[in-house]
Amino acid sequence: MNNEKAIKLLLVDDEDAFRQALAKRLGRREMDVFQASTGEEALEVLKATPANVVVMDVKMPGMGGLDALSRIRHEHPGTEVILLTGQAAVEDGITGIRSGAFDYLQKPVETENLVNKIRQAFDKGKHRTDLAKEAEMRESLERQMATAERLASLGTLAAGVAHEINNPLAIIAEAAGYMRLLLKKEECATIPFHDQLEKALGKIEKSVGRAKRTTMQLLGFAGQPDAVYREIELDDLVEEVILLVSGQASGMGVTVIKEQNPCPIILWTDPHRLRQVLINLVSNGIAACDRGGRVFIGSAFSEGMAVIHVRDTGHGIPKENMDRIFEPFFTTKPPGQGTGLGLFVSLDIIKRLGGAIQVESKVGQGACFRVSVPRRGKACPEVSNDIDWRDKARELERRDNHGAGAH
Amino acid sequence: MVRVPINILVVDDEEDFVEMFSMRLEEMGEIVKGVHSGQECLDILAQADVDVVILDIKMPGMDGIETLREIKRRNPIVEVILLTGHGTTDTAVEGMKLGAFDYLNKPADFRELMEKLEGARKRKAEQEERIRKAESRTLMRKTGNLF
Ligand SMILES: Nc1ncnc2c1ncn2[C@@H]1O[C@H](COP(=O)(O)OP(=O)(O)OP(=O)(O)O)[C@@H](O)[C@H]1O
Ligand SMILES: [Mg+2]
Repeated sequence: MNNEKAIKLLLVDDEDAFRQALAKRLGRREMDVFQASTGEEALEVLKATPANVVVMDVKMPGMGGLDALSRIRHEHPGTEVILLTGQAAVEDGITGIRSGAFDYLQKPVETENLVNKIRQAFDKGKHRTDLAKEAEMRESLERQMATAERLASLGTLAAGVAHEINNPLAIIAEAAGYMRLLLKKEECATIPFHDQLEKALGKIEKSVGRAKRTTMQLLGFAGQPDAVYREIELDDLVEEVILLVSGQASGMGVTVIKEQNPCPIILWTDPHRLRQVLINLVSNGIAACDRGGRVFIGSAFSEGMAVIHVRDTGHGIPKENMDRIFEPFFTTKPPGQGTGLGLFVSLDIIKRLGGAIQVESKVGQGACFRVSVPRRGKACPEVSNDIDWRDKARELERRDNHGAGAH
Repeated sequence: MVRVPINILVVDDEEDFVEMFSMRLEEMGEIVKGVHSGQECLDILAQADVDVVILDIKMPGMDGIETLREIKRRNPIVEVILLTGHGTTDTAVEGMKLGAFDYLNKPADFRELMEKLEGARKRKAEQEERIRKAESRTLMRKTGNLF
């Protein structure tokens, strides 16, 4: 007997002799039969061992079959119920079907007949659970798509907002810069409130820098149409990243170390975006370290993917924050110091590049972020042969990213 | 030491930006004009002496790239620095191919901008020098042929 295929059957009847005899007969028909002598007991048994089909007498002392039926239908929607009624009690059978029984049989039952009914009930139950599973899958897929769509339109909106904010921001920056020049003039050296004005200007400039960081991160997130795919050597990119964060690192007294990889990794990807991600990760690592801390960045190959890891000796990420670090605007930094967009944007970019990000961390022992990206990105637009221009663009982008995420 | 001022033309549809930016540059000792569209930019170039144009890429009507193309067609020796939104590297690269000297993200770092301005002015001076030399060479050749 194949136990997996066996129908799990619960037989409920208060007449012990009848029930046991029937159980024996059914047990020979590839069925896994267990028994109960009352409605209450049936519910208890089902709680512990779910059954596919219940065959149940209607007339029982205590909780009758009909009451038990509605409880079963309610608590175990995947379980089908066949009722057994007395000879003259067709009414009971019909009531039973109305309240969700699969069918009813009149006593005395013919075994062959009952076995067929049980099989049919079993098939129906299976079909029902399959449908439920399918519906659940469809629902979760729809939820995912809705989220993706929301993110996409959020991206467009974010980009628009960021661009709109950058313009007034530029005006504020120029106005403040102009006032600073005026204050530096000789004839202004002795005006009243000179130092206070200078201090206030400093606050304006600092806040412009802060807002600028936010808009820059948002524009990175917003899936710009102008992704430029190029062939790059990962080592070069890593070195550029280290160069770009060196200011932040030395300011914090943290060393950024490149881990040697014996074989060079050539990637076809969007270096501008990938660089932004690595800068975000290294910059986070630096921020998590105390003076004397270290951040390691290295790369390797694994199953056709290039894997770049950024590991630090910082304070680590508490368990309760693990789920939240990729949320937009989640930050544990004091106000004004972190946008909370770094990881959110990074994950978005890496997903777009067809990759993934993994995190491991223990409080007090630092964190390790692993970014894997395919060697060939999803989009492979034509390559320009104009070597000079590629170099130029590279240099441009190096500058372009200056300050993005690193501060 | 007296520094020779740079003749700058600022082109941006944001009037407040042009105003503040120009005032700041003037305070640094440069000579600055400001206009608010690509067409106005071309008009000024036709009549005034300009070393460097600081040109916003995103403008209604004739945009920065179109304006740049036209500047370079009419007066290739004028240097252009582009102002771009962050993340529009492609447009910036296109601009560079069309002959822009460099580009900056808005809001730009002022010190970086001053460096670029100096660089642009130097390149323009070198170009002019080269042209002068080439002209005098052809002149000499021509006179040589005459006699
Ligand atoms: N390497 C790390 N070690 C410890 N905590 C980290 C690390 N990386 C990220 N985190 C946690 O995740 C939070 C979110 O990071 P994210 O980069 O998204 O924003 P942020 O760093 O706070 O702001 P910004 O990137 O603008 O500086 C951080 O505030 C920090 O609490
Ligand atoms: Mg960060």
